[in-house]
Amino acid sequence: MKPNHESASQRYTLNCRMNQEAAALERLCRVVRVRGFRISRMAMESTGDTLDIALTLEGSRPVAMLQSQLEKLHTVAGVELVSDTMARSRSA
Amino acid sequence: MNGSQHILAAFHRHNISTVFGYPGGCIMPLYDALVDDVGTEHVLCRHEQACALAADGYARASGQLGVCIATSGPGATNLITGVANAYMDSIPLLVITGQVPSGLIGTDAFQETDILGMTLGIVKHSYLVDDPEDLPGILEEAIDLAQAGRPGPVWIDIPKDILLSEIEAPAPARTEAPPADCPEIGPALAMLKSARRPLLYSGGGVSLAGAEDRFRTFAEVSGLPGVVTLKGIGNAGRNNPNDLGMLGMHGSRAANKAVDECDLLFVIGARLDDRATGKLDGFAPNARMIHIDADAAEINKLRPAELSLRGDLNAILAALTDAIAAEPLAIDAWQKQCRTWHTTGGFRAADNEEPLAPITGPAFIRQLSGITGDDTVIACDVGQHQMWVAQYYQFAHPRHHLTSGGLGTMGFGLPAAIGAQFSDRTRTVINVTGDGSFMMNAQELATIRRYNLPLKLIILDNQCLGMVRQQQELFYNNRESQIDLDDNPDFVAMARAFDIPALHIERTDQIRRGIETILAYNGPMLLHVAISREENVWPIVKAGASNKEMIDEPRKTNSRKEQVA
Ligand SMILES: Cc1ncc(C[n+]2csc(CCOP(=O)(O)OP(=O)(O)O)c2C)c(N)n1
Ligand SMILES: [Mg+2]
Repeated sequence: MKPNHESASQRYTLNCRMNQEAAALERLCRVVRVRGFRISRMAMESTGDTLDIALTLEGSRPVAMLQSQLEKLHTVAGVELVSDTMARSRSA
Repeated sequence: MNGSQHILAAFHRHNISTVFGYPGGCIMPLYDALVDDVGTEHVLCRHEQACALAADGYARASGQLGVCIATSGPGATNLITGVANAYMDSIPLLVITGQVPSGLIGTDAFQETDILGMTLGIVKHSYLVDDPEDLPGILEEAIDLAQAGRPGPVWIDIPKDILLSEIEAPAPARTEAPPADCPEIGPALAMLKSARRPLLYSGGGVSLAGAEDRFRTFAEVSGLPGVVTLKGIGNAGRNNPNDLGMLGMHGSRAANKAVDECDLLFVIGARLDDRATGKLDGFAPNARMIHIDADAAEINKLRPAELSLRGDLNAILAALTDAIAAEPLAIDAWQKQCRTWHTTGGFRAADNEEPLAPITGPAFIRQLSGITGDDTVIACDVGQHQMWVAQYYQFAHPRHHLTSGGLGTMGFGLPAAIGAQFSDRTRTVINVTGDGSFMMNAQELATIRRYNLPLKLIILDNQCLGMVRQQQELFYNNRESQIDLDDNPDFVAMARAFDIPALHIERTDQIRRGIETILAYNGPMLLHVAISREENVWPIVKAGASNKEMIDEPRKTNSRKEQVA
């Protein structure tokens, strides 16, 4: 879904730690998409029972809302917002 | 014990006595284990969608976990609508499906679907079991998770070989979740005290938290005027004079007016759905907001809350009640104002004086409400009849009103009523349905007959998809498109074909006798009620408009209804 806000799109970096599980990444990406963000870069490392995922995202909705939806996932252990910078304005 | 027996052991451990399911290839080991089981009643519905919806209705009516079971492939995909329904309304469900044997996963095997992938968006959590030794722990976790915090469906997909494997792992001990704490209520109290026009806005979260009694006491002791969402109907009980009823698209003018005028909105267990708030810009424009919800992600999602509380709702309400009892709120003028709005802008369907006049939906539901007892459960379907139930039936308790709120699933009512009846065989359960919705799960008449459930079915038959017809009339220049059902089957004959007696009524003077007859009958019975095709649900807010722009029924020259402006 495209958020139909005319407000400027922002760029964010989120670090997300998840417990290992077959559908972990799918769950994460699904929430990001449905809540109105696009992934522009993604790095993942798996150690033992955990997955560490660094996401660079773009979107014009409040990122705190995405963060709280991600934290709701049962296998998400933590979400940390490391930076946000103004990306180019979305042409309406 | 093998995997299947572990599933049954988990049912026993958690006092799960009723499950709804349908067998097939990959789930056969579980059905085989059921043959020797004592203590689990398995209810065979006639479609997996109905299994999921019946489990949902069971959970709604009883407050217990609902359980449904199906085979892989088509069995699992047939569950999806029912599981999505439960997800949208935060209903605790355990969903168990068989999957093709582990070695065949990913080979496009017969009846293989990636059900885990297909359902990620409609579950609270889900598992595909890949090691038999994990199964006992997963079962335990899933059962707890479905009911913890904000409840929801949890799905376990189990390959057939795992259902058959001998499992060494011991059945885990039950873990009790630690009780939630009560947050500091001082700031909420201060906001309530400083408000001149505070308003309660409560939803389904009240009963989901098991806080019905505390909520009712709080509402009574505080005297706060209140509005409810579709799922909060019944929160205030039948006799609270400060309850203004449902707000929103088909809410009362009084409820929407109070929201518009209030200076403090006290939201309890509600998520500010668009059907309730209308256009957010115009919603409660002068109000500060306190929000209590079990789900942190609901806070500030759609409207910022000045204060939010999370924790044990019972404890929060008890603390607030005590504080307000000691020092009452000074809101007399506001209460009086709200009561005036309620008398002039509540729902009222005048009794039709003419005995031979055709039946209207509102008049029928009002009489039904007057005749049935306080503990009757009504399971609705979706459409105009659902809104008339919400508007005109006086519910004594939120768990008596089973309605598909978030998903709006036609076909919900009949299986949900079956589930509710299984949760208590002695209580009166009535499915109020429409001619369109009824046909979406009509096969469940066979389930009623098989288990000889004393369910009562009422079809409000307007020979069309009434809710869609109404929107076409009002918002699409009356261009009717694909809403005619004037070739409906003979519903009375249809019920009889399932060995369920049925009665037809069509005149106002037949309403009472019709209702009393089906209620008095010792067994299932169907009442077919012919109503006008042209009747609309009033008032209405156009989708996307502000609740201020409510449209009332245009005055008829020969008014059958006393409509309040
Ligand atoms: C499964 C499903 N399909 C379509 C709809 C859209 N829809 C909402 S109400 C409605 C009409 C319902 O007709 P009926 O059950 O006869 O009730 P009425 O409005 O006539 O009282 C339709 C088609 C829906 N809610 N659910
Ligand atoms: Mg109809």
